[in-house]
Amino acid sequence: MTSIDGEDDISRRSFLLSGSGLLSSVWIAAHWPNIAAAAHHADEMSAVPAPAGFEYLNAADAADVEALSAQILPGGATPGAREAHAVYFIDRALATFLSRLAGEFRAGLTQFQAAFRAFSPTSRSFAEAGPDTQIAFLKTVDRTPFFGTARALTLLGMFSSPKYAGNFGGAGWKLMGFQDQHAFAPPFGYYDREYTGFVPYSTEKQA
Amino acid sequence: MTARRFKPNETVDFVVVGSGAAGGVMARELSRAGFSVLVFEQGPRFSPADFEHDELKYFFMSGLTVDPRSSPQTFRKHPGADAQRPTGPMATQPALYARLVGGSSNHFTANFWRFREIDFHERSVLGAIPGTGFADWPISYQELEPYYTKVEWEVGVSGLAYANPFDPPRSKPYPMPPLPVKSSGVLLERGARKLGLHPYPAPMAIASQPYRGRPACVHCGFCMGFGCEARAKSSSLYTMIPEAEATGRCEVRAQSYVFRVATNAAGRTTGVHYFDGGKKEHFQKARAVVVSANGAETARLLLNSADARFTQGLANSSGLVGKYFMFNQGSSVHAVFEHELNEYKSVQTTRVVHDFYDADPKRGFYGGGGIDGRINPQPAIWAMSAGGELPGWGADLKARIEAFPRSMVAMGHTTSLPVEANSVSIDPTLKDAWGIPAIRVTYKDHPDDLAFTRFLQDRQVEIMQAAGAQRVWREEVEESAWSVHLLGTARMGNDPATSVVDKFHRAHDVPNLFLCDGSSFVTSGRGQPTMTIQALAFRAADHIGQFAKRNEI
Repeated sequence: MTSIDGEDDISRRSFLLSGSGLLSSVWIAAHWPNIAAAAHHADEMSAVPAPAGFEYLNAADAADVEALSAQILPGGATPGAREAHAVYFIDRALATFLSRLAGEFRAGLTQFQAAFRAFSPTSRSFAEAGPDTQIAFLKTVDRTPFFGTARALTLLGMFSSPKYAGNFGGAGWKLMGFQDQHAFAPPFGYYDREYTGFVPYSTEKQA
Repeated sequence: MTARRFKPNETVDFVVVGSGAAGGVMARELSRAGFSVLVFEQGPRFSPADFEHDELKYFFMSGLTVDPRSSPQTFRKHPGADAQRPTGPMATQPALYARLVGGSSNHFTANFWRFREIDFHERSVLGAIPGTGFADWPISYQELEPYYTKVEWEVGVSGLAYANPFDPPRSKPYPMPPLPVKSSGVLLERGARKLGLHPYPAPMAIASQPYRGRPACVHCGFCMGFGCEARAKSSSLYTMIPEAEATGRCEVRAQSYVFRVATNAAGRTTGVHYFDGGKKEHFQKARAVVVSANGAETARLLLNSADARFTQGLANSSGLVGKYFMFNQGSSVHAVFEHELNEYKSVQTTRVVHDFYDADPKRGFYGGGGIDGRINPQPAIWAMSAGGELPGWGADLKARIEAFPRSMVAMGHTTSLPVEANSVSIDPTLKDAWGIPAIRVTYKDHPDDLAFTRFLQDRQVEIMQAAGAQRVWREEVEESAWSVHLLGTARMGNDPATSVVDKFHRAHDVPNLFLCDGSSFVTSGRGQPTMTIQALAFRAADHIGQFAKRNEI
């Protein structure tokens, strides 16, 4: 199979195919974690670098969308949407795999920008306004369909696979504490580490 | 033995439409019984290495599921209303299923609960429910029990027999022990036991140890909505289909889309019309046809097979094909704990509570269900729900997202009553990319479905609070607009006037046509239908094979 964006992830598939096609299931059971770790490494190596430019958004629109995404998921001590390149994801999504949303998004963005000009006539754009002004304005529009779409796309750009141009360097996954691996072993968390086993009920039926 | 390849003009004993949970079983059982079997699957065939950890691809670009760009569907709440295609960034097909060899058994969560005795004769116990087609099944739990056991052993289910004090009788224990408990399971068990409830290890169609040539689960965490790259999930792709092909009597024809079942002047089916991967039309001759295309596509295929003899659609003299569609309702309760759970690791659920399985007339409404502990592990989808109350943005949203490792969900799975107006029908104008009329879903939850789901959600909150959660919040229970549980559209029954197939899944109207999948359900069960779909398929195949050998088809 070919991945959705046309990149054939040959390295990963080669590892997996070598396990599933040529070797016995017993061997796979014993060595799967090693295969998976190698596959994961191959995945990381195939991560896409930051795009050189935008495909769908113009520079001014991209700046506003980036500023909006950075208020939806702000940076600070830990990375936010800006640092995760969510705007690059949004641009690529609207240009390609979520193009069905593009027209509605552009119309919504135009309305958003017009409403902001009315809200803050002294600001040159949403992107160039101060954070207090941005937040005050967003509180007036955060229940609009456009904001909902921008929020969804920001979160997809923050937490989807880095190969879609967002989640740069796995910033979103690190923020969330999520590890994308092909194998884990118990214990998985604090509470199952201390679990002492299932205690049957006194009404337990017998075989 | 290599897989069979039938010649273009060859007549096969059985065509099976669909290669999923039921179609896979049908293929394996009928070919093992000595018959030639040709399985048609709309989608492609994946190798294990084709499955990825890519939620964007699978949840937003139909990487595994029926694609709205080529196979659109419409939705409405009421008959008479205009049905619309879902729109927006989170738009979901109303009847969502996986379109590849193995069908939805590839992307299911793999919860494998047996039904209980009550599920099969609940109408007799509780009486009629106004405004519904609530009815008994034509078979009992006792008749199906050997086939539940067969699913557990032949397909491969992990679990702990006799641990659930409410379990129905069983003839054998599970073939594999339960999967390792996760922190969500520990906490669900802790809270439930404090409340006097009876949590038990979840039965899962995932190998907890090497089983029949497949490796044990490696706990990657990508089960629900994803295919298994380790072959540990007991999907038809890895179990029934290769075993059917190994007989040398079965061919699985992928990317082959059956759009019409043909009949002759005698009212018997003669085969199926289908498109190959290049959209070229063909006809395949068969002595009998088994449709296991799922609860939505089976109904659509019958309705689209209308002709001069069967003007309402094939096998539809009752007028009930497509009707009594049932989804299963459900609800989520989110909880955050002091320490890390890391719920993105391993299978979705490891503990289940079935204390609220039975309906209780004293509540004032019908309904029953089960609760499991889990999280929806995909990071982006989880982040979208982590905001809790909308709008959810800014520093507060970020703080909630950072609580991901300490979070879990207590999920309720509940009944849906059979309402005649809830249906799969043919959209009057919309067609798919092959020019075939599309699915139109009409669905509005019965008030009791919502009432019980809210009742069970209160219990989920109590369990999470008793488990010591620092913060608990609920997702509002909303009316259904889509589902992956596609049930009831060609219901079983003894009376041809009130059902579509008989107790052996033979169409009342067409002697050599059999329908077996979620469409056969009379009632919805409590939210995990695949175990029963496969048990029905094993039972049906057993009888169909006997009929064929006695020349009674």
